[in-house]
Amino acid sequence: MKKKTKLTPYLYVIPGLLMVLGFVYIPIIVNLVYSFFRLSSYSSSMKFVGLDNFRRLFTNDTFPIMIRNNVYYCVISLIVQVGFGTFLALLLESRLVGERFKSICRNIYFIPSLVSLTAVGLMFNFIYNPQLGMLNAFLKQVGLANLQQTWLGDKNLAIFCIIAMSQWQFTGYITLLMVVAFQNVSTDYIEAAIIDGAGPVKRALSIVLPLAKEQLLVCSIITVIGAFKLFTEVYSTTVGGPGNSSQVLGLFLYQNAFLHDDMGMAAATGVLIFIITVTASIFQLKISHSGEI
Amino acid sequence: MKKNLKKMLCLAMAAVMTMGATACGSSSSSDGTQAAAPAETAKESESAAPASGDVKVIKLFHRFPDDPCNTFIEEKLAEYESLHPDIKFEVTSAQNQPYKEKIKVVVGSDECPDIFFSFCGEFSERFIREGLLLDLTPYLEADPEWKDSLMETQMVEYTTADGMVYGIPFRLDAKEFFYNVDMFNELGLEVPETWDQFIEVLDKIQEAGIVPIAEGNQDKWPACHYIGALNEQLVPDEVRASDYNVMTGEFTDPGYVEALEKYQQLVSYMNMGVNGMTHDMARLGFTQGQNAILFAELVEITNVKQENPDLNWGMFKFPVIEGAKGNPDLVSGAPEGFAVSSKTQYPDECVEFLKWFLGPEVGAQQAEQVGWFNASIGVDEGLEDPSLISAYEVIKNAKKMDIWFDNALYSTVCDEYLTQISDVTNGDITPAEAMEKIQKVAEEAKTLAQ
Repeated sequence: MKKKTKLTPYLYVIPGLLMVLGFVYIPIIVNLVYSFFRLSSYSSSMKFVGLDNFRRLFTNDTFPIMIRNNVYYCVISLIVQVGFGTFLALLLESRLVGERFKSICRNIYFIPSLVSLTAVGLMFNFIYNPQLGMLNAFLKQVGLANLQQTWLGDKNLAIFCIIAMSQWQFTGYITLLMVVAFQNVSTDYIEAAIIDGAGPVKRALSIVLPLAKEQLLVCSIITVIGAFKLFTEVYSTTVGGPGNSSQVLGLFLYQNAFLHDDMGMAAATGVLIFIITVTASIFQLKISHSGEI
Repeated sequence: MKKNLKKMLCLAMAAVMTMGATACGSSSSSDGTQAAAPAETAKESESAAPASGDVKVIKLFHRFPDDPCNTFIEEKLAEYESLHPDIKFEVTSAQNQPYKEKIKVVVGSDECPDIFFSFCGEFSERFIREGLLLDLTPYLEADPEWKDSLMETQMVEYTTADGMVYGIPFRLDAKEFFYNVDMFNELGLEVPETWDQFIEVLDKIQEAGIVPIAEGNQDKWPACHYIGALNEQLVPDEVRASDYNVMTGEFTDPGYVEALEKYQQLVSYMNMGVNGMTHDMARLGFTQGQNAILFAELVEITNVKQENPDLNWGMFKFPVIEGAKGNPDLVSGAPEGFAVSSKTQYPDECVEFLKWFLGPEVGAQQAEQVGWFNASIGVDEGLEDPSLISAYEVIKNAKKMDIWFDNALYSTVCDEYLTQISDVTNGDITPAEAMEKIQKVAEEAKTLAQ
């Protein structure tokens, strides 16, 4: 009888465990194994090449460019999406803004993140078009014609144009996540702080933000991981060009897998992305002292 | 405990997020099931079939989901089904780029379509090396009438070096300069035949305050067709053949650098921001009368007419570079067609269908309705549209086709070449430096292709 009660909880866990194993952990391990082989998706032969895929990855001329682009994306996204997004959320949750206006703003900020990435890419292709595009036309209209650029066609600007596009799309998403977290902060604390004479800035920094720390952490982890998985935004606009100037790890992985039939190289890139994101996540968990208040 | 739980949650989340990227590299089968989903329904109906008689299900996968072609294919398949009650088609399609990826995944699996679109050259030959394509040679030998009805110059492209025919063309294509006839007349310009005349014409157009050439290279492939055409003329045939072969590729001939230099010369006559817009966008510049010249494929005639039916335009061949060591008679372009899987249960039925679908009768209808030609001789007979007639002339008069540059090269070499052309377009790198980088990748490709 006693034994039975001990077994039951495990039975409940098994389906979930199997799914996590099957869809997360086993593929990660298989991916690691593949990274030591040369193979393609349609060929049955696999050739063991040891660490050669990693050697080719790290010595590739594009490698520093990819890392640089991913880091740019990561840093800018942290500043704009998480930083500015949180700031917007604080404004929306402060007593400066009326209830109606609050909910309108929340919706407006959030809408871009509902649009499919490919559609956004297509739209920005039009906006950035040097001849017919909205951006150059706008600059001309306001008398800043000398600031007109070829945007996605310029190797120094292409990646930043793509990054800008993502900021437009996802800042509102982070704002919404943070608004929810701020709403969970008990009003008791805030009222107590007001009675103690804390101003809005003090309240935000000392009460609201620390209490919503866990959510902030989740947001920054999502952002960092997203930055290193970056793919669709680049694929739907420059495809890494001009030259290799906007190449990123995610696109490189994809091109190796499906363009160059080099699944091993793609797997090696996948392993690298995995290591980067896991390390970054652990690092963030450590420095944020997650779970402590 | 709570702390640990949260940490684990965050880590698990991190793992799940990363999966999106890693799974892509590891389990090709996950993509395969997606691409083959419609094929699975085909299987179900197949198992249900024996009850209702001997219905043979043929799975067909093509890359023409846009109209008018998609409708045309569907109509023809329905027509064939009504003529042959025992045949049933299961059709799937995808856009060009996704198609290239999906077909590679399904072709090696058990879900491989019986008949599928396949580019000629390296794209198909990698499947042949794995024994995945049906050898059509015996079928053609057995039916000389069929064999003779197909254009020789086009069939060569679907034949391997050792004589195996692996595909039948669905549409023929070549690249030509389209030009604005009204603009040429206004400026009193003649159609250029040599490179020097071409540059002269471009200068005059520019002097008149018009940007001569429309080009958009954001997707990296459009500009490489200039290089393909220039290489044909500047590099001797044998050298090119040896370099385009992945196992012997060197790319040390000075002609390659010269080709990039000539291209650079052309860039100065192109619209601004070549790398910043797609080819389709740039084509609008030509069809809306902002630019005088467009380097375009014959299959784009349909688009040009759609975008501006009133445009008065004509075509001319890539100008001849006098005194160059290459072959000025080649026409850049390649047929695109269908191949049959070697795993198909119904090889005879598939070939029989292709004989009809890619034959003269359907071909003539296709030329009229879609504006594309297949390789059957005489599909142009009922044509009235002058631009299509002259397009057909281009192909008919071609002594030898030269397969698209980006289809001819091994994928990593091609990718590097395209990347370098893109940098040359922006002036970020000199032609000589670009060729050095390409040589390096060509060297590495030898070890990859083994």
